[in-house]
Amino acid sequence: MAAVYKSLSKSDKKDEDKPAGGKKNKQRVLILSSRGVTYRHRHLMNDLYSLLPHSRKDAKLDTKTKLYQLNELAELYNCNNVFFFEARKGKDLYAWMSKAPNGPTVKMHLQNLHTMEELHFTGNCLKGSRPILSFDAAFDKQPHLRVIKELFLHIFAVPKGARKVKPFADHVMGFTIADGKIWIRCYQINETEPGKQKPSADGEMDVDQAPKKGKPDETNVSLVEIGPRLVLTPIVILESSFGGPVIYENKEFVSPNQVRADLRLAKAGRYNRRSEQGLERKVKRGDLGLNTEGGRKKPKDALDDKVLFA
Amino acid sequence: MTKSKLLSALDKYKGRDIKLEKQRKAEKEARKRKRAGKEVEEDNGKDDEAGGVKLNRPKEEKRNGIEGKKGGKANGVRKGADDEAQWETDEDESEDEGDSEAGVIDTSRLNDTDSSSSEEDEEEEQDEDEDIPLSDIESLASEDKGDILPYQRLTINNTTALLSALHRIQLPISSMPFSEHQSLTTAAPTSILDVEDDLSRELAFYAQSLATVNEARALLKKEGVPFSRPADYFAEMVKSDEHMGKIKQKLIDAAAGKKAAADARRQRDLKKFGKQVQVAKLQERDKAKRETLEKINLLKRKRQGAELTTTHEPDLFDVSLEDSAAAKPSRSDRKDGRPNPKRQKKNEKFGFGGKKRFAKSGDAISSADMRDFSVKRMRGGAGKRLGKSRRAKKV
Repeated sequence: MAAVYKSLSKSDKKDEDKPAGGKKNKQRVLILSSRGVTYRHRHLMNDLYSLLPHSRKDAKLDTKTKLYQLNELAELYNCNNVFFFEARKGKDLYAWMSKAPNGPTVKMHLQNLHTMEELHFTGNCLKGSRPILSFDAAFDKQPHLRVIKELFLHIFAVPKGARKVKPFADHVMGFTIADGKIWIRCYQINETEPGKQKPSADGEMDVDQAPKKGKPDETNVSLVEIGPRLVLTPIVILESSFGGPVIYENKEFVSPNQVRADLRLAKAGRYNRRSEQGLERKVKRGDLGLNTEGGRKKPKDALDDKVLFA
Repeated sequence: MTKSKLLSALDKYKGRDIKLEKQRKAEKEARKRKRAGKEVEEDNGKDDEAGGVKLNRPKEEKRNGIEGKKGGKANGVRKGADDEAQWETDEDESEDEGDSEAGVIDTSRLNDTDSSSSEEDEEEEQDEDEDIPLSDIESLASEDKGDILPYQRLTINNTTALLSALHRIQLPISSMPFSEHQSLTTAAPTSILDVEDDLSRELAFYAQSLATVNEARALLKKEGVPFSRPADYFAEMVKSDEHMGKIKQKLIDAAAGKKAAADARRQRDLKKFGKQVQVAKLQERDKAKRETLEKINLLKRKRQGAELTTTHEPDLFDVSLEDSAAAKPSRSDRKDGRPNPKRQKKNEKFGFGGKKRFAKSGDAISSADMRDFSVKRMRGGAGKRLGKSRRAKKV
């Protein structure tokens, strides 16, 4: 069906591409993870892979330290973007986004992830259709967010000429900044005409080149969530791809390890405080001369009972 | 310490909070010690055992001091070394991210996030970088702080490098047709009052996406790009049929569950109410029965007793049933002084006065009474005795 549509719509596509001229948007994304991902991380990766027709999946990367190997890997697969998931301790997931040959790279902490499978949303979209990306205006406010936005644009916006791509825009991906984090949502676009209940019939399809002037927006657009859901906290931006100087570091980010350690320490702190208090009390008693051993001795007084009645 | 004495004196003169200052200083020291300890350990690992105590954080020292007093000194040192090892692993975990990058950090590039990237106040910013905002520490309750040492990342925000990196990779979105990139940025930033409030947060996300879709739809239509999928365009979807079936089943199950729950509740209510209704109905029926029986009896009696029937009987039958039931003649009302017929019969049967013993015992007459005797039955020729119902039918 897709092939039929393509062949039908090829004629008018050609004369559209030409006048645009200029640079063509050519992106390919390498999606892979490190070792030690859980099943949820893996499912999330699969979800993203199914949403991005211009992506390529690869086997888990063996190393967690020599990430520069990813550059060679990307070159091998003709990819100019790398979307790498690094799992730590079987629970923390970090997402790296990079422009492959020479950067920049963004490292983000991935939280609150819910895969399509566990969310049970009723939305659905064509596999391979191109999403509409919706960015929060806050992305343009700060330079590091602009870099991140650009990377999102390269990775999540499916280029027009990508392989396996299907026509029609039937889903939207929302990128919002709230609470210093980036929240990603994916919705299906549901069009209903006010008269009819069902999605508009093929007769009135938008295949027609000129939109009708009389009723510009008669149809009712609503969204149905598809999934997955995830929240990203930017940590670090490196100048080149998986290396180079740090050009941004998030001050507010606290690593999950630190959070866990602090929790543990807060629990352990009670003992330490008590033992400290014990020591303090001992010193105080010594200073007052109340201890039999150690501490400060009182100077002998000539009128002391012990001296008088010795 | 980068700050000179003069600077600190100046700060004091300005009236800074000494307590806060002290806390910051302690933090700084701890961090420095941590770093120093790491370096020393890398240099000579065997020094660890002898000088383990020296390398520790202040808290560690105190604890070791206690242990030293309590037990032997050697013991204390060994324990200290153990603790040291533990601490080191923690530090490794927390620092392993920044570790590799620490070497490449160029201090001249340090800028603060909040301030603009002008060059002149760079020195000041560096100083600020050394300071630690205490907001994180103070948010904790005092007893919860415990041993938590406030820790702080360096702020690196190299605006020029960021912008140059951006320009290097940036797509010329403005010169491209919209259908090429299909991305839009909202006019105003999405504002979410409370991020913890799921509903309002998701609503904000939804609104943002919806606004974008409406805009994008217009743009795409203007460019003549097909937007919505025709109903007869079938292709592979992101979620498989199996998955969608699962979702549908889930929805159906949820709806069925809801319906069943509502049904059960209604049934329960009905039951509660129905019981009362039933009881009331039964009582009413009983009452009605009793009343009709009473009326019938009354009428019967009136018929039997000739004296009573001498009065206009037909009237009694059809008109004044109620009246007759209501005006029930009491025993004392009887004029002739005789008891009612039933009583009479009973008196006859069971005797009223007179001898009551042996009334039912046999005597010569009764034993000579041969009316019930049957030869056939005595011989046993009658065959088997039939069942009760058939016997009843026969007679």
